[in-house]
Amino acid sequence: MILYTPMQLELVLDGMDQYQASNQREISMGSSTLIVEDNGFGRGQVVRLISTEPQDYLNPNYAPGAEFKF
Amino acid sequence: MYYDNNQRFKNEQRRSPDYTPTVGPMPRPNPNTPPNPSTTPGQMPNPMTQPRTEPNKGKRVTGKPKGMIDSIKELGTPDVPETKSNIQCVTIIGQVEGHLSLPPQNKTTKYEHIIPQLVGLEQSNEVEGVLLILNTVGGDVEAGLAISEMVASMSKPTVSIVLGGGHSIGGPIAVSTDYSFIAETASMTIHPIRLNGLVVGVPQTYEYLDKMQDRVIGFVTQHSRIKEDKFRELMFRTGDLARDIGTVLIGDDAVKAGLIDEVGGLGKAVQKLRQMIDQNNNQRGVPLQ
Repeated sequence: MILYTPMQLELVLDGMDQYQASNQREISMGSSTLIVEDNGFGRGQVVRLISTEPQDYLNPNYAPGAEFKF
Repeated sequence: MYYDNNQRFKNEQRRSPDYTPTVGPMPRPNPNTPPNPSTTPGQMPNPMTQPRTEPNKGKRVTGKPKGMIDSIKELGTPDVPETKSNIQCVTIIGQVEGHLSLPPQNKTTKYEHIIPQLVGLEQSNEVEGVLLILNTVGGDVEAGLAISEMVASMSKPTVSIVLGGGHSIGGPIAVSTDYSFIAETASMTIHPIRLNGLVVGVPQTYEYLDKMQDRVIGFVTQHSRIKEDKFRELMFRTGDLARDIGTVLIGDDAVKAGLIDEVGGLGKAVQKLRQMIDQNNNQRGVPLQ
């Protein structure tokens, strides 16, 4: 991997040697994908929406921070 | 008398005048409705002999959609209104992530998200144009060039806007579209590719990095007005960046250098894209001679 970035590499790659299991899950919602942080007990919070549809970003249920139930 | 909910619902249904049971005895023909010539009583209509109806158009949901949480609770599936805009947008933010996952302090754009999106946009009949929005600090060369090549080879009109920053590998992605915009305050850093991770030996490494650099330079010079000498000169200029060699181009500088087509924001970009879509549609309408 060759990184081409003006950011300091120490900053970008910091923690690369320690593996951390992420509690974020990718959930597919029709044509869009939600990144949801799993807070346990079937509840979560939307972290990010990945979609090409601009209208999806106006949906309050998809907004970052919205509550999500699995 | 005790009814469970389901039983009560069934009984209420039976009482309604136009109820026909789905299970049990065959439905008796209703004397109030005229007999359907294509079906004999007691026979299900044959789908093959039925007249073909209009193909389903894209479902447009109006009014207030049901909250996602509610519909998941009731039906087990989310009710997503399928209103598709004819202009779809792809955002490239943070680090462009390649074959390795970066540590969690980085905000990243992953190629496994972007590449299928681009394939979907190219295939979809409803999508007429693609807007690419960049605010990136660069990232993996391979992933960045892969995204750039895919955008460049799309048949639909594409327009990019650089907002905030379109640094390093953001450069090739920004110029990969048919037309590119940069916000007045946005900046693009052009600098040589540095070494990380791969140390074979000094001469080989230099050669490898040089090749990587040539891929980037080749792509940028092919897809923008900038000449190779000019791009190399910007890349290796000294005294412009405090800690490194290279150049920062802000807004108009990028246009003057020939890297980006025009200074402008969202309004101009969408207007340009609409204009290109109209042109594209008109061209398609002309019969072949």
